[in-house]
Amino acid sequence: MTQSAKPATGTTAPPPTNSRTGLAVAVVVISLLALLPLLNLFRAALFSGGGSPLALGFDGGDQIRGTLLLVLGEGIAGAVLGTAIGWLTAMCHFPGRRWLRIAQLLPMAVPAYLSAASLIDWGSHHGLRIHGIGWTIALMTLANYSYVVLLSTESFGISGRRLLEASRSLGVGPWRSFFRVAVPIALPAVGAGVALSAMEVVNELGAVRLLGVPSLSAGILDRWQIDGDPKGAALLSLAALAIVAVLVAAERRLRQRSRRWSLAGSSHQQPLWVLQGWRAWLALLVCVLPPLVALLIPGLWVLEGWQNLSVVAFRELLPLAARSLGLALAATGITLVAALLLAVVRRWCPGPALQQLSFVAGLGYAVPGSVLALGLIVLGGPLALGPLLLLLWGYGDRFLAVGKQGLDAAFERLPPSVDEAAVSLGQSWQGVLRRVHLPLLRGPLLVGALLVFVDVVKELPLTLSLRPFDFDTLAVRVFQYASDERVGAAMAPSLLIMLFGLIAAAALIPSLERR
Amino acid sequence: MTIWHRGIIRDLTRATLGATALLVSADWTSMVLAQSRIQEVNVYSGRHYNTDKALYAEFTRRTGIRVNLLEGKDDELIQRLKSEGSNSRADLLVLVDAARLVRAQQDNLFRPISSRELNKDVPANLRDPGGRWYALTRRARPVMVNAALVNPRLIRTYADLARPELKGKLCMRNRASVYSQSLVADELVRRGRPATQNWLEGVVANQQQPVFSSDTTMVRAVGQGQCGAAIANQYYLARLLSGDNDADRAIAKKVRVVWPDPTHVNVTAGGVTRTARNADAGRRLLEFLASPTSGEGYAEANNEYPLRGWGNNPTLKAFGTFKVSPVPMEQLGRRNREAVQLMTQAGWN
Repeated sequence: MTQSAKPATGTTAPPPTNSRTGLAVAVVVISLLALLPLLNLFRAALFSGGGSPLALGFDGGDQIRGTLLLVLGEGIAGAVLGTAIGWLTAMCHFPGRRWLRIAQLLPMAVPAYLSAASLIDWGSHHGLRIHGIGWTIALMTLANYSYVVLLSTESFGISGRRLLEASRSLGVGPWRSFFRVAVPIALPAVGAGVALSAMEVVNELGAVRLLGVPSLSAGILDRWQIDGDPKGAALLSLAALAIVAVLVAAERRLRQRSRRWSLAGSSHQQPLWVLQGWRAWLALLVCVLPPLVALLIPGLWVLEGWQNLSVVAFRELLPLAARSLGLALAATGITLVAALLLAVVRRWCPGPALQQLSFVAGLGYAVPGSVLALGLIVLGGPLALGPLLLLLWGYGDRFLAVGKQGLDAAFERLPPSVDEAAVSLGQSWQGVLRRVHLPLLRGPLLVGALLVFVDVVKELPLTLSLRPFDFDTLAVRVFQYASDERVGAAMAPSLLIMLFGLIAAAALIPSLERR
Repeated sequence: MTIWHRGIIRDLTRATLGATALLVSADWTSMVLAQSRIQEVNVYSGRHYNTDKALYAEFTRRTGIRVNLLEGKDDELIQRLKSEGSNSRADLLVLVDAARLVRAQQDNLFRPISSRELNKDVPANLRDPGGRWYALTRRARPVMVNAALVNPRLIRTYADLARPELKGKLCMRNRASVYSQSLVADELVRRGRPATQNWLEGVVANQQQPVFSSDTTMVRAVGQGQCGAAIANQYYLARLLSGDNDADRAIAKKVRVVWPDPTHVNVTAGGVTRTARNADAGRRLLEFLASPTSGEGYAEANNEYPLRGWGNNPTLKAFGTFKVSPVPMEQLGRRNREAVQLMTQAGWN
C-alpha cells in the first residue's frame, strides 16, 4: 500500500463538484475569524499615529537573539530526544514499554512556568542559582519534547511498520533500519512536532522571564504595555511571526521531500526489536528519565516544601477546576472542527488561494497570546461579544495549528486512491470525510484533541486577559501565586492541571495501543 | 479497554458541545445580570490575596453592594482597561507601585473624585494631588544584610551601597523590576540627576551577576551567605520568617534588616475608573479599604504597613521603625522613565 510516486500537484485532486463551494466558504470564514484579530491589531498598531518611529529599540536585538537561541537549542534537543523515545516505545520491546509510552505525555501537562518557578525556588533552598539560557533550553525541551514523541510514534506506528518489516527481512539491523528507513519516514511527523514545540518556545513568557532570558514574547509585551510603544511591539511581533513562518516552511519542505502514502497498518502490533541486557536498560533509562525529571521538579518541591502548601487554597479548587475543564472541552471541540475543515480543504480544493489561506490561518499560534488577547479585546468591544465567547474565539485561533499540524501530516499519508475510490462510488466530500477519513484518522484526531485540551488547560495569557469577573481558572491561579513568589499556594492548583493532563493522556492510550 | 473504541469521537463531541453551550449561556446570564439593577462594583486588582476576599465580603455585608473581582498582573490590567475603552465594566482599578499608578493616570484611566474621608485617611504624599488615586497600603524597600559578610553599620543610606567594600557582595533585582525602578526614581527626586548617575555607577560596579529576577530567592541568598547585602521589600523576609517552612525560617533568621535614612516606600493604591458605571460604589469601596480598621487587614494580608504608623504585625514590629522617604508617590511615577534610562546607561541588567 505504500507508494513513493510524487503527486502531480500539492495534494490529490479529485474532480471538482458543486458540493465543495460549501467547504470553500467554511474555510474562508474560519480563516477570516482566525486572521481578523491579528490584522486589526497590526492596523491599530501601525497607524496609531504615535510619535515614535518604527524601531527595534534598545533591547530588541537581544530579544530576537534570545528567542532564536532558545528555538534552536530546544528544537535540536527536542528532535533528538523525541525521535529516540518515539522509536524506542513504538518499535522496540523492553520492560515497562507500555507504561513508559503513556508516561511520555506527562511532561506536557506540567506548565513550563511552574517547573521554572519550582526549580528556581528549590535551587535557592540549596544555594543553587537556576538562571540563564542553558537552564531555559533544558526546561523548555523537557516541557515540549512530547510533541515530537507523539507525532513520531504515530508515523513509526502507521507507515513505518511494513517498510521496516521489509528492511528487517533483508537483514538490516535495528540501527541501520532506524537511520535509513524509519527516520526518513518519520521526518514529516518529527518536523511537525519540532515546529509545534518551537512555536511553544517562541510564545513562552513566564518561564523565560523567571529565568532571566531576553525574549521576543516578553519584549513585545513590555514595549506595548510599559513603554507605550505599540509600533515597536508590532515590529517585534513581526519578527516572531517571521521565525515561525520559517519554521513552518521548513517543516513543509521536509514533508514534501518525504511524501509517502500508506493506509493505517493492519499488521499485528508486535514490537519489531526485542531489546535485552544492557540495551534494554539503556532504553529504559532514556524513556524513564525525561518524564521522571519533569515530575521530580515540582515533586521535589512538594516533598521539601509541603509545609508551605496552603490549605485555604484547597477549597477553591473545585470551581477553578470546573471552569478549566469546561473551557478546555469547549475549545477542543471548536478547534478540532475548524482544523479538520482546514485539513480537508488542503486535500480537496487544490486552488492556490484556498491553500494559502488555510496555511495562513494557522499563524495565530505564532503570535504571543497576550498580543492576540489585545487584538480580541479591540475587536470584541464594539461587537458586544461576551468575554467567554471572546476567550473561546481566542483559544480556537491560538491552537488551530496544534490541531491542524497532526491532521495535515496524517492526511498526507493517506493515499489519494482512497478518496478517488470513494468519489467514483458517488460520495461527496462530506461522505468521504464521514465514511473514510474520520475512521482512518481517529488516532491523529484524538492526539490533536489531547494536545489542544492540555494546551488550553495550561494556557495563560489569553485566559488572564479575556476572562470575565470572578472566573479564575487553575492556570490563572498558578500564575498569580507563582508571580507573587508564593510557590506553596501555586502547588495545589498546578497538581490538578497535571492530573487533568494525565487523565487526558490515559484516555488516549487505548486508541494508541489498538492500532 | 474496548469501551473506547467505537463511540469515543461521538462522546467527545457531545462533551464539547455541552461545555460550549454551558459557557455561552453563562456568558449571557452574566451580561443580563449586569444590566439588571443590582448594586455592584467591579474591581480590577493587581493584588492576589485570598484574605482580600474576606474584606470585600465584609464590605458587601455592610453596604449591600456586591464586589465582582478580576485579579491580574498590573500592566496587563492597565492595558485591558485601555483597550476596552468606554465598553469597560471596571469601576475600580487597584494597582501596586507608583510607577504603574502614574502610567494609568497618564493614560487617563482614572477619574478624579473628592472624598473628605479619603483625604483624612490617606496622607497627602500617598495620593494623587488631583484625587485620581489613593494609597491603601505601604511597603518599604530596606537593605537586607548578612552580618557575617557585611558590617551592617557600613550602610546608613542607599548611597552607601556604592561603597567599594561591597564589591561583588551586593545583590539586586533586574532592571525590569519596577521595585528597582521606583527606588532609583526616589534617589533621583531626593538627590538630583548627577548624584544619582554617580551612585548608579558605583552600585552597578558592586552588583553580583547575574542579577536576580525575584526577591525571595535573593533574600535566601543573603541568609545563605551568597550575598552580603541585598535590597528587597520587607514583606518577602516577613513571609519567610512567619511561614511554616523550618528551613526558610532558619535561613531568614540570619538576615538583618538595615533601614537606610530615609527608606524608600511604595504603595498599593486604587482609583475609580474614568468609564465607571458604578462610580459611587467604587468610591465607597475605596473609602472602606483606606479606613484605618479595614486598611490594616488589607496590609496584613501581605505583611505590609498600613497608611500611618507601623501596624500590629509582630514580624514587622521586630524589624523596627524607620524614617520614611518624603518623596510623594506621584513624583516616583513621573521620574520612572528617566530612572530606567539612567539604569540602562549605567549598565544595570
